[in-house]
Amino acid sequence: MNEKTTLPVKLPIKEPGAAHSGLSDWYWQRLSAVVLAVLLPLPFFLLVSVYGGSVDQQGLLDLLDHFISRLLHTLLIAALMIHVYMGLKVIIEDYVHVAGLRVCLTGAMLVVMTGFGIWWLAIIWAWGG
Amino acid sequence: MSEMIQLSVFRYDPEQGDKPTMQNYKVPITGSGMKLLDALNYIKWQLDGTLTYRRSCGEGVCGSDGVNINGVNGLACITPIAGLKQPIHVRPLPSMHVIRDLVVDMDHFFDQYRQIQPWLKTFTPTPEHERLQTPEQRAELDGSYECILCGCCTTSCPSWWWNGDRFLGPAALLQANRWIVDSRDEAMGERLDQLEDSFRLYRCHQIMNCMEACPKELNPTAAINNIKRKLLARKS
Repeated sequence: MNEKTTLPVKLPIKEPGAAHSGLSDWYWQRLSAVVLAVLLPLPFFLLVSVYGGSVDQQGLLDLLDHFISRLLHTLLIAALMIHVYMGLKVIIEDYVHVAGLRVCLTGAMLVVMTGFGIWWLAIIWAWGG
Repeated sequence: MSEMIQLSVFRYDPEQGDKPTMQNYKVPITGSGMKLLDALNYIKWQLDGTLTYRRSCGEGVCGSDGVNINGVNGLACITPIAGLKQPIHVRPLPSMHVIRDLVVDMDHFFDQYRQIQPWLKTFTPTPEHERLQTPEQRAELDGSYECILCGCCTTSCPSWWWNGDRFLGPAALLQANRWIVDSRDEAMGERLDQLEDSFRLYRCHQIMNCMEACPKELNPTAAINNIKRKLLARKS
């Protein structure tokens, strides 16, 4: 046996097993993607209509104020927040390998995204008048 | 004088303590249909006996000569020299610990294969003769059983490069699916339990390098998606 061998010493296999999660992340990412695919074109359509001159400011306000519009807008924001959170979480999990940092980053992102979503909802539903 | 081909081969000997280098060789074409392994053999037997690589059957069955050829993983024994851009860059499988030259440490790869428990698990009494399958049930295994565990797919997967300690990788997951779809296996629930993990299974981002790299033209991404569908169906 060559004493100069530099092969790494094999550690005993200590395998933690599955966390029994992951399916819900995967599911919500896809569900939110479908909602976004359906709802996201609508604001762009509205934008084009405004720039094209077929909808004026009052018409735009009437459209946005409508109950159905607010409902769809709420759905869109919820789907957007969920989708962005899930996507960024996956990226953080991919590249941040220090568990403590990963947990902190994901948590901070969750707080920021939730706050942003609530702020946007407050605008849509005109909370506080 | 016969036509010569140029190769640039990765050399590394940790016992010498040197840094890895690329070494150039010129090898004559020894016949029509010459494969890359023939060129490596020529170097080893005629030019430089210190070149180290794994090879056994030479027919694409044993899966021991997986290498990175011009940036793409494949088996040296079934990769034709014709059509390869010269100089042919031959490197060890990416992201693996190099033991010497083109020989890499496959222990972790096979540990991950062991983790999916690649054997028939049953709870019902053993039948008198054998556990039978219909031709249709047997056909479910097509596209999975052909895997020779060469590691070309797993070591071409960026997700495995980043999280190889936790993500099982395409080869192990292809085999996990092979036992999940096997009509004779009775431990599907247990197997799915062991895979439901955002790293072990869901780290697959469908980059599909595995499918491109597989020398047996299998599709590990489809197998992984099948596991995901099984998990979804179980929860829905």
